[in-house]
Amino acid sequence: MNETLNVAIIGGGFAGIGTAIRLKQKDVEDFALLERGTAAGGTWRDNTYPGAACDIPSRLYSYSFAPNPDWSHTYSGSAEILGYIEHMVEEFDLRPHFRFGHNVIDVRWNDATSLWDITFDAQPPMHARTVVMASGPLANVSFPAIRGLDTFTGHKIHSARWDHDYDFTDKKVAVIGTGASGVQIVPELVKVAKSVKVFQRTPGWALPRVNFETRQTTKDLYRRFPTAQTAARKAWFWGHESVALGVVWNSPLTRVVEAVGKVHLRRQVEDPWLRRQLTPDFRAGCKRLLMTSEFYPALQKDNCTLVTWPIATLAPDGIRTVEGIEHQADVIVFATGFDVCKTGTPVPIRGRGGRVLADEWSGGAKAYKSVSVAGYPNMYFTFGPNSGPGHSSALVYMEAQIDYLVEAISHALARDLVLDVREDRQQEYNEDLQRRLQKTTWNSGCSSWYLTEDGFNATMFPGFATQYVGQLRAVDYEDYSVSECRPLSRSSR
Amino acid sequence: MAFDFEDMLVKIKDKQWALVDIDWDAPGAETIGPELWTKLKPFMSDLMWIENVGARGFAAMATKAPTETLKEIYTYFHAEEQKHANAELALMRRWGMLDGDEIPQPNINVKLVIDWLDKYSDQTSLAVLGTVIPMLEVALDGALVKFIVDEIDDPVCQEVFKRINSDESRHLAVDFQVIELLGHAKMRRILVETVGAWMKPSLIIGTLRYIPLLNKMRDNIVDMGVDEQRLYSAMGRFKKVGERSEFPRRLPMYRFITWHSGVVIDRAHPYHKLADGLVRLTSKYPKRLLRPQPTWSKELTYEPVA
Repeated sequence: MNETLNVAIIGGGFAGIGTAIRLKQKDVEDFALLERGTAAGGTWRDNTYPGAACDIPSRLYSYSFAPNPDWSHTYSGSAEILGYIEHMVEEFDLRPHFRFGHNVIDVRWNDATSLWDITFDAQPPMHARTVVMASGPLANVSFPAIRGLDTFTGHKIHSARWDHDYDFTDKKVAVIGTGASGVQIVPELVKVAKSVKVFQRTPGWALPRVNFETRQTTKDLYRRFPTAQTAARKAWFWGHESVALGVVWNSPLTRVVEAVGKVHLRRQVEDPWLRRQLTPDFRAGCKRLLMTSEFYPALQKDNCTLVTWPIATLAPDGIRTVEGIEHQADVIVFATGFDVCKTGTPVPIRGRGGRVLADEWSGGAKAYKSVSVAGYPNMYFTFGPNSGPGHSSALVYMEAQIDYLVEAISHALARDLVLDVREDRQQEYNEDLQRRLQKTTWNSGCSSWYLTEDGFNATMFPGFATQYVGQLRAVDYEDYSVSECRPLSRSSR
Repeated sequence: MAFDFEDMLVKIKDKQWALVDIDWDAPGAETIGPELWTKLKPFMSDLMWIENVGARGFAAMATKAPTETLKEIYTYFHAEEQKHANAELALMRRWGMLDGDEIPQPNINVKLVIDWLDKYSDQTSLAVLGTVIPMLEVALDGALVKFIVDEIDDPVCQEVFKRINSDESRHLAVDFQVIELLGHAKMRRILVETVGAWMKPSLIIGTLRYIPLLNKMRDNIVDMGVDEQRLYSAMGRFKKVGERSEFPRRLPMYRFITWHSGVVIDRAHPYHKLADGLVRLTSKYPKRLLRPQPTWSKELTYEPVA
């Protein structure tokens, strides 16, 4: 008989671990963290490239229910964040719940048993009364659609799958991509490489990132008086909330954000043509804002060149750009981001009556408050559709989702219920959401990973973090159709 | 049938070539005799610089393209014009016209245009750039490039200009389509934009730099032994192609450019007193009044690999 769990959490990153902690705190112990890798940490386990760091202050990029007084700087590097994640795993005794090497390949609702049947590629299947899809939006790497991608015979590295054995010393390096990871990698590579060519398709708005070291006295204060740390977190929270006025909505304050970006660029880049190449032609916030004080100076180092010519093709020895030159390289670093699921699902998910979620989301993902999807009972998403913040910490949003779904799960488990969000409520929610999105910077006319190719915004939440958290404060069971579990499901417990 | 910009973008991507595709050391360089060599050097230099300023024009047009597809097309054209300039520089090197790593200096009229483009092109409307750039391209494609293809036997040069010509034919197809698109706008909008454009001193300054550039080009090609009629028939083609549809004629800027090309090719027109005078005047233009050469005009290279 295959194992049957109360809760299967798919993904052992920040969201999965947060869910596990909150489930334990609600005395739900019969759960497993299904992790395809061999270690916890998700995005922060995978993103270990030089310079990898969070661009949200650590005080806010951490769970309020797992405070850490020891953050070393305002913004933490990936190693420190991964250390925090591992610390949570130990502190909350989550290790026994992890099932490493469990790569989920199919999740299917069984009407007869009121259970989810979960299939793995190299493990026996299992069943679960509830599934939490905590696979995260930044799990699968994305290579750009460049001609001749496989013809390059040199070394290729993706930022999220860094090759720590490769020695960049005295190498000719090409970096494709100038997004959030690109601007962090380049300053590190110029320190060691013989030459670095940075291939930029679209410049992003960059704001200065002031990263102070945390004094020992401050750490001691937070340790002795946790309320001081909570107050600091709130201060960061409200600071970021105020930024929403310019970053979320296309408003006069957006011009203020742009002005800050332009002053930053002007202060750091002297050459007018280079400045022009680095000046975005879209509203600030439309694409993810970059937080960096190191990128522009790095670009102007003698061994660094910004290339803005379109890439024609990759060739065995390098990158051919449309101005006719082959830019030869020993290694190409792809800082080209992730395959964010906007029109599909990370694994095949089949709901009631065999409906396929990927088909339903083919025109753009939709959910109820980003956590539930009609027809997929007892399944919850963390970082589901339209839950992305443009101005605040993803963990603030994630924490709200976790508290919501843990409440719903413990309620349903205690009463043997199947909760399926109502289709009409989901539709109403999304109509309102899409109407509100029209006024945001993300929908102001640029193309970004926030939008589908048709311009549908399936990723961002059009409001303050306060509003997002507020809508998830309590589970409104009237918005769900509630039924009892089939006897088979109960007997399998 | 409506013009398909998406389809054109795919075609542009499919037709890419690089300097490494050409064997720059292949035989044929010896076909350039000493007399031709002497005349060809300034001619090629002018040609290269005009490609380079055309490139900058497309960069400015990309910022105001009405659709993402057209923006990407212009971004490609920007790079392709640079590729043409690079290839022409590589030919000059092949023919031994470069002294070491030297890049030939642009003439004063090109310098004035570089200066203008650097300062004003990003603020100039698509209606202005979208009519002036095609005129320059027609002149380039129809006179200068054609002359090279007819007169120079070097097979490498033939191969290079075959590729350049193929690119330019796509540039012209898009150029004229955009002129037609602009002509579809409401007349009130066209007039407001035209008046707005001419109210800016930058356009007057630009015109005063464009006029001697054309006459200087004419002087240079005549010096080369090219029949100036070639330039004139190329410019006449601008009007002929442009007026295959009624819409371009609704654009005052198009009308101005065609009128201007008409007087340029009429050697008896009093306009030439002004234009030739401006050529003489600009030849004495004090260099210290020019801003430092922008870095975009220093990116030319004859090296196929970098």
